[in-house]
Amino acid sequence: MNEFEKLEAELKELRPLPPSEEFTSSLEIALGDAGKVAIRCLPDEDSLEQKKSARTMSAYPSKLLSFPRMVVFAGLTGLALAAVWAILLYFSSSLVPEIPVESNHSEPLLFVQSTDIESTIPISDDPDSPLHGLSLDQIQDISVMPVSGWLDPQINERLLRMVDEGIFQLPGGLPARRVRHYFMDETLWSHPASDTRILSTTPREEVILIELETY
Amino acid sequence: MNTEPIWKSWFARHGAKLLLFARQQSRRPDEAEDLLQEAFVRIWRLYGHTGEVSPGLVYRAIRRLAIDWARSIDRRQIRENKVALDSPLSFCFERTLEQDERKQALLRAVERLPDQQKEVVTLKIWGELTFDEIARILDESLNTVASRYRYALQKLKDWVPEEMEGKKEDSSTAS
Repeated sequence: MNEFEKLEAELKELRPLPPSEEFTSSLEIALGDAGKVAIRCLPDEDSLEQKKSARTMSAYPSKLLSFPRMVVFAGLTGLALAAVWAILLYFSSSLVPEIPVESNHSEPLLFVQSTDIESTIPISDDPDSPLHGLSLDQIQDISVMPVSGWLDPQINERLLRMVDEGIFQLPGGLPARRVRHYFMDETLWSHPASDTRILSTTPREEVILIELETY
Repeated sequence: MNTEPIWKSWFARHGAKLLLFARQQSRRPDEAEDLLQEAFVRIWRLYGHTGEVSPGLVYRAIRRLAIDWARSIDRRQIRENKVALDSPLSFCFERTLEQDERKQALLRAVERLPDQQKEVVTLKIWGELTFDEIARILDESLNTVASRYRYALQKLKDWVPEEMEGKKEDSSTAS
């Protein structure tokens, strides 16, 4: 039994004062980029909201990833693409006048473009439409997907890995550590009425150079 | 998903202990935070990418910087500042101990310890380091560090009753 155990316990009961908020803030400034190299993910309100919405959609838990649904979605997307292609083909064939093929023409052909296109082709001028020449209704018909009723996209940044690439010399001669971050940015659009969700993922890299002081 | 730099949670865990050590090592009371900041930034820039830094490295950097800085200050200035440095150690701890007479006596006794013993006690008790880690920080042998700690505790054991008696005498004279 240590004769000083009681004394040690008494000393340990004394708690040193923590650093002030101002000091921690000034430390953050002094650290600069070096403070952002090692990070950890925290669950925030967005993810909690995401979990909540996932719970509310629990009536269709397997629909999002189920194979039949994927097949239907792929089919609808294919149809929409085919429709858009057909419309573009139609427009392009209407805009370019047919040139009669006359093999025995010695004079060069003068290309004359018709000026009454607008009168022949109905071009919609819907200010809400993201595509010129197509109204929202037309887009909806073509894409077979709802145009309105989409929720705000949920954006999520995932840190995949971090690679320390070692020490390099900066142009000024100072040594610097190069750290590369690999992120995956995910954007999820949801349409609750039709239970449609579209997930877009984009890989991203960030390189951070940390100047090292020679001490 | 939000992200938070790891150093923040690391500093929340070790900041108070490091600041206490910096206060003991600094020659001027207002220098402690500068000392801690300089030491922490240097170490985190070198090893922070790993996500976990041994607190011993920061303690060691604080001590070395304190020595470097002290060398650059005029000796007379050190003597003048020594007066300011002798501020009560209780200011470095949470205020709840003000009601506890024995704890105050304990801190007064710690203040009376020689610097070498005081730093070992600080690193062992509040820094929660092993003797091996302390020996590496102070560039001393394991035996030296362990002996200093033992001598310090013996002194504290003897001095705490004295401090409590002294306080009682003071209050009785005042009344």
